[in-house]
Amino acid sequence: MTYAFDRLRILVVEDNNPMLEICKTLLITFGVGEVISAKNGDDGYKIFCKENPDIVLADWMMNPTDGISLTRRIRNDASCPNHYVPIILMTGFSEKKRVVQARDAGVTEFLVKPFTARDLYKRVAQIIERPRQFVRSEDFFGPDRRRKADESFKGTYKRETDIKQMQNQKERMKEASLHMGELRQKAGLSKGDKISFGIDDIDFS
Amino acid sequence: MIDPDQHFHLAPKRNAEFFTPENQLKKKVGTGGLSENILNKAQALLEDNTIDFRPLGEMYLESIMKGILSVEENGKTSNKEDAFASILFPTVQLKANGGMFHYPLITRIADRLIQFLEVLEDLDTEALEIIKAFHTTIRAILLGQIKGDGGQRGDDLLKALVEACYRYFEKFPDRKRE
Repeated sequence: MTYAFDRLRILVVEDNNPMLEICKTLLITFGVGEVISAKNGDDGYKIFCKENPDIVLADWMMNPTDGISLTRRIRNDASCPNHYVPIILMTGFSEKKRVVQARDAGVTEFLVKPFTARDLYKRVAQIIERPRQFVRSEDFFGPDRRRKADESFKGTYKRETDIKQMQNQKERMKEASLHMGELRQKAGLSKGDKISFGIDDIDFS
Repeated sequence: MIDPDQHFHLAPKRNAEFFTPENQLKKKVGTGGLSENILNKAQALLEDNTIDFRPLGEMYLESIMKGILSVEENGKTSNKEDAFASILFPTVQLKANGGMFHYPLITRIADRLIQFLEVLEDLDTEALEIIKAFHTTIRAILLGQIKGDGGQRGDDLLKALVEACYRYFEKFPDRKRE
């Protein structure tokens, strides 16, 4: 059994004609049901509002409105029919500061050009299998910019929700430790044996 | 209200609301991924595209040259960010599109030029000379229709350009953006 991509409608926003054709060809080969296209961010937004596609694949550099402005508009404009739509931003930029810039605009996935068919597929699969929760703060609305908890992070947790989460986790750990003896007994383990609750990340490669 | 746990030197705690939208996409497409056969077919279509990159490449090179000439003519009077953008943006396009249309060597070279531009403090005469060398090299690749990675000659060209960038920053260490 494979993905039923024929039920998907994807909007490709790209001002470079050959590149637009390549993106459309790849998506149609993947089996995507409908590929809609637009030539720049302005047209892209209009078509987005009219068609309300499932995914947006947009280029960064376009005139007069680029992919970053389009993303901000989709995430924040009151007239937008779906603020949560996944947005994949294509660009030749790969420097960290540019990735951060795109992430801060509300982009869901970043696709560095040149890319392979598999690279594009991985981004789409990521959106389907590991959708991000959304965050609204004083100055941001968009997909959670933290992909997963970073164990090596030594900085300060600033969000109120972080503090609450940490407190909840402490409580859960305390509760769990009360039942450890019972768990060990059921699993036939002795006190020195470790119990792992780790869940591995899904790898699409 | 003042939070007694808040340190003076830290940024204030931020309020954030979290939403988990329903995964409509998963509902629509189901499970199973795509087969290797489909992915290989898509990759083959990508690799076999017959689009001629030269007109597009020439257009981007022309934009870079316009940017260089504008900086040379206007010097310090031009807006610094605009001046950088006029050279950086077409370079990014060369990097992005070269490899998509059978010119991976252009992608590699343009990538190094982007790296140089991203840390460059100012578009001074010496920096512009290096940018011109990148421009000339990419133009030669395009005119000579050197598709693929360019082999040893390609590596040598890239090495020479990268060394010029290193020499620049060795000579002018204060002209590197942090």
